[in-house]
Amino acid sequence: MRRRVGLGAIQQQKLAAEKYKDKGADLQESQLEQMTKQMEVFRIKLEEFAMKHKDDIRKNSQFRKQFQEMCAAIGVDPLASGKGFWSVLGMGDFYYELSVQVVEVCLAANHKTGGLMELDELRRRLIAARGQSALHQEITKEDILMATKKLTIFGNGFVVHKLGKGRYIVQSIPGELSMEETNILSAASNTETGRITKNQLIKDLGWTEYRTIQALEKVLGEGLCWIDKQSEDEPSFWFPSLFPGRNAQMVDA
Amino acid sequence: MAEFQWPWEYTFPPFFTLQPHEETRRQQLKVWTDLFLKYLKHVNRFTIDTNDQNLPLFFNESINRRLSPELILLILEQLQQSGHAAPLDKRRQEWHVYHYTLEEYGNMVYDWIQETGQTNSICTLYELVAGENSTQMEFHNMDEDVLLNALRLLEGKGKCELIEMDGSHGVKFF
Repeated sequence: MRRRVGLGAIQQQKLAAEKYKDKGADLQESQLEQMTKQMEVFRIKLEEFAMKHKDDIRKNSQFRKQFQEMCAAIGVDPLASGKGFWSVLGMGDFYYELSVQVVEVCLAANHKTGGLMELDELRRRLIAARGQSALHQEITKEDILMATKKLTIFGNGFVVHKLGKGRYIVQSIPGELSMEETNILSAASNTETGRITKNQLIKDLGWTEYRTIQALEKVLGEGLCWIDKQSEDEPSFWFPSLFPGRNAQMVDA
Repeated sequence: MAEFQWPWEYTFPPFFTLQPHEETRRQQLKVWTDLFLKYLKHVNRFTIDTNDQNLPLFFNESINRRLSPELILLILEQLQQSGHAAPLDKRRQEWHVYHYTLEEYGNMVYDWIQETGQTNSICTLYELVAGENSTQMEFHNMDEDVLLNALRLLEGKGKCELIEMDGSHGVKFF
């Protein structure tokens, strides 16, 4: 008898496929379970680790950085957990305290910097402000960036701008820097003294003269930079926040 | 004498251009007025001429930036408002600039006279500013004309009496 080709075979195939699927789901489930278990174990271990090295995390900047990276890799934010176990660590406190100091330092210097400060300078000022007793609490640029991130909840009054080449500038006046202004700032930060001119900008950024004049007038009008009308050829614009002489004298004083 | 410590702004070229932004300008003038007082105290000068082109205060040779006569005048007018400067001529070219106000100088001298028991005796202005006893005082070596103005203020309050002798001045404190 010839074997019937038809319904039965198809049903059988279908059944097999379903079984495979079931088995697959089973496998996936058990894998997930295992993973979850592993993650749970890992989390507990991490917590144990954190507890054990609490002091190191608070005091050693290198250690803190690595710990942060480790936490980020597994999706734990020690700062976000205000309650429960993580608060024991005081990690959040460390950064909140730092944020407050960042604000204090920036506001205190606003009248001189026009509301812009380079991250390096901010770090120096912060270290000075934290005083001798906190010498062992060395802070890194990453710490400051982390702390300033927490400040974004206050709106646009506190923003960190990346100027490229690992240089950052902290803006501590309300208002958003437009693309234009950020570009000017970047261009100025690439010069040795934080000085730019209209023609330089036209050349560097490929802007039209009109656009350049508008943008320069805006940064000047917001008090972010100073104008020098005694330059040889054309007026130049200077950012006190990028002027190196300012820091040299500050260290001496 | 120790080298004068210029503030960082002195090497910041736009510091020599009056700034258009209001807040920045206020800050700029504040630094300038402080600098005027500190510098003139350091070199112990009480008079300046706005036309003195090469005074380091008006001209930073290393960056080739100078204060315009208008800006100098603006700074001096600010100082005048706080009682730290007074024009000497109608064209406002020569100015007295003093680190302490006339009133403060007057009180300083008066307190010192009281403390050292020199009331009711007559002394010359020269003795006050150049005498051995006053070397530690802020008014030691000060400009006699400025001192005279300060003492006139005191005289107005009835705390002393100025006496002119042979073209120079003497003073008696009460």
